[in-house]
Amino acid sequence: MTISEIMTTSVSTITSGKSVSYAAEQMNECNTRWLVVIDHGVVMGVVTSRDVLSAHPNRIVADAMSGYPSRFSADLNVWEAHSYLQEDNGEVALIMDGERLIGVLTKEAVRMKIAEFIDPLTGLYEAPYIQYVGEQFLKENIPFHLLFIDLNDFGQINKKHGHPFGDDVIRRYSSVLASLASEKGDHLCRYAGDEFVMISTAEEDQVQKGIALLTQPTHIRNVRISAAVGHVNGYEEPDFFSYSLRDLMEKASLESSAAKLQNDYPTFAT
Amino acid sequence: MSSEKNVYSRKATLSLKISEFEVPPMQDMLIIGRKAPIGPEAVRRMAEALSPEQFTLIKMDHPKIEAVLLRNTLLQMLDEKLLMKIVLEESERMISDSMVLRSELKIAVSIQREVDLL
Repeated sequence: MTISEIMTTSVSTITSGKSVSYAAEQMNECNTRWLVVIDHGVVMGVVTSRDVLSAHPNRIVADAMSGYPSRFSADLNVWEAHSYLQEDNGEVALIMDGERLIGVLTKEAVRMKIAEFIDPLTGLYEAPYIQYVGEQFLKENIPFHLLFIDLNDFGQINKKHGHPFGDDVIRRYSSVLASLASEKGDHLCRYAGDEFVMISTAEEDQVQKGIALLTQPTHIRNVRISAAVGHVNGYEEPDFFSYSLRDLMEKASLESSAAKLQNDYPTFAT
Repeated sequence: MSSEKNVYSRKATLSLKISEFEVPPMQDMLIIGRKAPIGPEAVRRMAEALSPEQFTLIKMDHPKIEAVLLRNTLLQMLDEKLLMKIVLEESERMISDSMVLRSELKIAVSIQREVDLL
């Protein structure tokens, strides 16, 4: 999923010596909220409707442009662009092929694409997010903890208490997970149904504390809820980087199934 | 029949004042407010077009003043930081962020030396 899929290739331009009022007229005419500023074939920056509103109309565009936009290549991953743009104050980034401008990427387009991968029930990212994070870490040889978290007997909870209650359980449990994954090095997603995956670069003891907390049965409206956690420790696993993320997910998932079998807690009780 | 004639006339009066255009028109220094109708880059381009390589634009981190355009020769005589400190102290009392101030700045050096007589 690269930004070439969501970038705008039809780009309206202006020169830096034009007035701010002219830029505003151009934006109206082209029905756009930004113009790429180009002088003698060289990209100077971007002037946005926000810049135009906050500058005197007599000023030239060069004096109204705010900062310098990020430059990306079209093959950049959308997740990566999203993380770069979160730290960027600008509304748009320029997509370049070497020194040639080939398009513009708006923050809004990135947000809309990312929103497609947010689980509506829990507000957590869906599986493609963790896929990207895990593969990126493996590519960059960054070790991590992979946790595969599977709620115990969720099917039976649904059968006995109904799906709306099942949804409540998923929501409540995911908020517990989200509070645990608040550190910068933690990444969380709802992998599928009642399964969650967390990638963490936190210290071992912190991860173990998290696992203990997650496996500890809790009660939601007097129904006991517990989870099995499969853990792959990338700091200790031999040949960790020779595995693909899919292999590691399989391993963590199998560990979670094994933990489920060893589960001493009653299936569920009211 | 009326004996009066209808009279209609339109006249224009021209007033002409001619004086010499000062080059450069900005004297020694321009102090540019953050919301002034002319911004630092436009000022820099104007100075460069009228008096190439004679002025320097200094961007300021100040709530009202965005930049100061200064004649290069002044910077050769006085330290930039010292000069800017004085300029800010004096101009921030009267400038609003929508103004551009023009200033004449002359530096006179007075020297007194004592030497041994032969």
